[in-house]
Amino acid sequence: MILLLLPILLVSCLFLAASGNRLGRLVFPLAAAPLVVTFIWGCSQLVSTAPSAEERLVWVSGLSLNFIFQLSSLASLMTVLVSGIGICVFMYSFGYFSDDSQGLNTFSATLLLFSTAMLGLVWADSVWTLFIFWELTSITSFLLVGHKNTYKEARLSARRALLITAAGGLCLLAGLLLIADSAGTTRLSEMGTAEFSSTAAVLIMIAAATKSAQFPFHIWLPGAMAAPTPVSAYLHSATMVKAGVVLAALFSPTFAETGTWKTVGLFFGIASMLWGGIGALRQFDAKLILAWGTVSQLGLLFTLLSLGSAKATFAAIAILAAHAVFKAALFMVVGEIDVRTGTRDIRKLAGLASSMPITFGVAAVSAASMAGVPPLLGFAAKEAAIEAVLKLSGTQDLIAGGSIVVGSVITVAYTTRFMLGVFSTPSQEAASDATPVAPQSVGMSVSSSLLGACSVIGFLILPKVSTWVKSAAMQLNPEAEIYKLYRWPGLTTAFLVSAAIVASGLVLGWFAEKKIVAEAKPAGARFADLSVSTILRTAQVITGKMQHGSLPFYIATMAITASVATMPFLFALDVEPIYWSDSWAQTTLAILAIISSLTVAAVRTRLSAAIALGFVGLSITGLFVAHGAPDLALTQLLVETVIVVGFVVGLGKLAHGFPQVGVIWRGVRFLVSALIGFAVTAALVASASAPTGEPPLEAIAEKSQTVGGGNNIVNVILTDMRALDTLGEITVLVVVAIGILALAKPRLPSIEREDAAKENVI
Amino acid sequence: MSFVLVLTTASLTSVGIYLITSRSLSRIILGFSLLSHAVVIGLLAAAGPAGQAPLADETSAASSANPLPQALSLTAIVISFGLTLFLLALARRQQAVTGDDLVEDDLEDRRIRQSSSDYRSEHP
Repeated sequence: MILLLLPILLVSCLFLAASGNRLGRLVFPLAAAPLVVTFIWGCSQLVSTAPSAEERLVWVSGLSLNFIFQLSSLASLMTVLVSGIGICVFMYSFGYFSDDSQGLNTFSATLLLFSTAMLGLVWADSVWTLFIFWELTSITSFLLVGHKNTYKEARLSARRALLITAAGGLCLLAGLLLIADSAGTTRLSEMGTAEFSSTAAVLIMIAAATKSAQFPFHIWLPGAMAAPTPVSAYLHSATMVKAGVVLAALFSPTFAETGTWKTVGLFFGIASMLWGGIGALRQFDAKLILAWGTVSQLGLLFTLLSLGSAKATFAAIAILAAHAVFKAALFMVVGEIDVRTGTRDIRKLAGLASSMPITFGVAAVSAASMAGVPPLLGFAAKEAAIEAVLKLSGTQDLIAGGSIVVGSVITVAYTTRFMLGVFSTPSQEAASDATPVAPQSVGMSVSSSLLGACSVIGFLILPKVSTWVKSAAMQLNPEAEIYKLYRWPGLTTAFLVSAAIVASGLVLGWFAEKKIVAEAKPAGARFADLSVSTILRTAQVITGKMQHGSLPFYIATMAITASVATMPFLFALDVEPIYWSDSWAQTTLAILAIISSLTVAAVRTRLSAAIALGFVGLSITGLFVAHGAPDLALTQLLVETVIVVGFVVGLGKLAHGFPQVGVIWRGVRFLVSALIGFAVTAALVASASAPTGEPPLEAIAEKSQTVGGGNNIVNVILTDMRALDTLGEITVLVVVAIGILALAKPRLPSIEREDAAKENVI
Repeated sequence: MSFVLVLTTASLTSVGIYLITSRSLSRIILGFSLLSHAVVIGLLAAAGPAGQAPLADETSAASSANPLPQALSLTAIVISFGLTLFLLALARRQQAVTGDDLVEDDLEDRRIRQSSSDYRSEHP
């Protein structure tokens, strides 16, 4: 079924993208259609108890690289959440956008692709399949956040989100490679529990934390609000940020015995829970309050999952579901308020409770669910978490438990502040000061109301929800079998603690609403942007310094680099295979060659330099003869003659000497030349000290006679053994000859020449 | 390995690099020629001691010089010959156009340098 659904979803994306602007807002119902199918299938799988079959699509069979999918219990719960909330988001988009909005087709296609990526991620059973869909969520979320690409803020936020999540993706890849290697399998369902390397644990936890916007990677999430509200609602509830939680959940059994996993996870969780909560208390933009609230809620999920006890895992899954529902509804509420009043600032908003009753109702229910107030889904889930906390022991766990309690108080506080700020009527102002409100849109109200109702319905069918959560939790920790969610737990310690949390949160929130006047500055995001622009600037400055157009400088740089690269040879020198000279003739000719080469550099006119070069060539020819290479000597003699003629013909017109250069630059050139000479000596001597075998001289001689049918071995090598190379060499010469003919055309007309000269001066 | 040949290779390379880092195209070509000499001598030096010419019917394999690097060097000599002549043709052409043979800074690269200093003044 998965292999049927994925193509349907992907083809729908293509269809939407190709539909152009003709369909207007109608793209949204169309985009929701494949998600409806997925939702129905997901529900049927959630209810049925039969284990689902593995589905496999072979990609590269030789590398055992396959797309493998299997619907686990957690996956079917996530499928329902992702597709269900996805449907609401598309309905909401239908009301949110107007018909004349541009780019709705690509937007809806990207949004659907984003849901597909998320679905693929939860369905995946091979780590490589998981990784591919993980990266796909990063890319599509980048496109979605940057949807309003004419705004600088949107572009910056999208870049920030991409850089952070893509860095996480790299960590994930490294982590998956490590763990697949040590586990001996790429299947998630076959990983088992073993003592895995801490490095893999840390890498995978970092990947999860970047995706789930955990401190200090949370800085991309508040910025991601630059996206249209439907995207924020989706991103913050069932998708994207939950991808990290799902990853952490999937690997929690695998790393259960790796201590680092828990420590790192608890660090991320606790830090995000507290810092996110504090951030939410200090914001004035209603959407930002919710965004920071997401950071805090995800921190809670990470903390619970990292604790690793069966009860905590169970609670984490319950909160995962509850959070998806209420957070999506709350974002939709804020988006509706934004569209209908034109502002999201809680200092400007007032008295919306009476002017927007439906919206208020949805917000109240969802906020109460977030705060953990009965009779709502969030309450039951929070109770499970508090119960898990009360069972903890040991210093590390107790710190985590304490933080969860403090975090819950802060959650209630920012929820209270949010509700008071947006909906209450300030007493000293008249009712007429309430924010003016535009008429409501059905698409937005219906979908947010549906999600709001889900928090209540979830509570009504709590025994069912409890079963689903339990089977998902059992997949991660089989001991979770004994737990369930309670509608009314009775007057237990946990309930009393919850009541205390809500009460103190209400008071704190009321104070926060009255007292906090200074807006928090997004320092983290600014730091991230600054680092990126510093890197870009440094790159540009270095490129400007290195690539400034001077050929001599480039060559000097290369020569220095090459010389430095040979320095390691100096440690492997062995002078034994080195002898002074083969013969007296060799020594004499070498001295001649060196002296005439120095003359080439010393003389000031081109003609004398060309003659000196001829002397070098002749000495080299002599060296070839002395070495026993008559073919080389013959060739060199011919070549040298032509080159000297070429110099005289080519450059004879330039009568004046070489241009003078500054002393400093000449000094630098001296040094560079000396350095490279030293390096060449070192490299050659080192190569003599490390011979790797005897040259097969006899075999070559024999082949030359039997196969090549010639006695001059060098010639046979060229014409028989390397015949194709020689053919290529001849081709090069032909090309060169054609090039020289073209360049040596008669003089340019004088006008063209003057123009060219002028251009050169400029 | 004959140290004389090593020294020859090193000196030719040094002088070659010295010339090739010049602004004058004719000196660059001179340097290039010296560098190709250096490479061939280096190859021969690395391949074994001097000997008799590698002729299968006249010399024994043990007493002859290694033929393989000679064959490789021959290709190198011919190719560098072609390149040198081509460079000479280029130099001649430049002479015809500008009246000189100086290698100016690359315009595109100069633009990159400019953009970098612009960037610095815009984002202090």
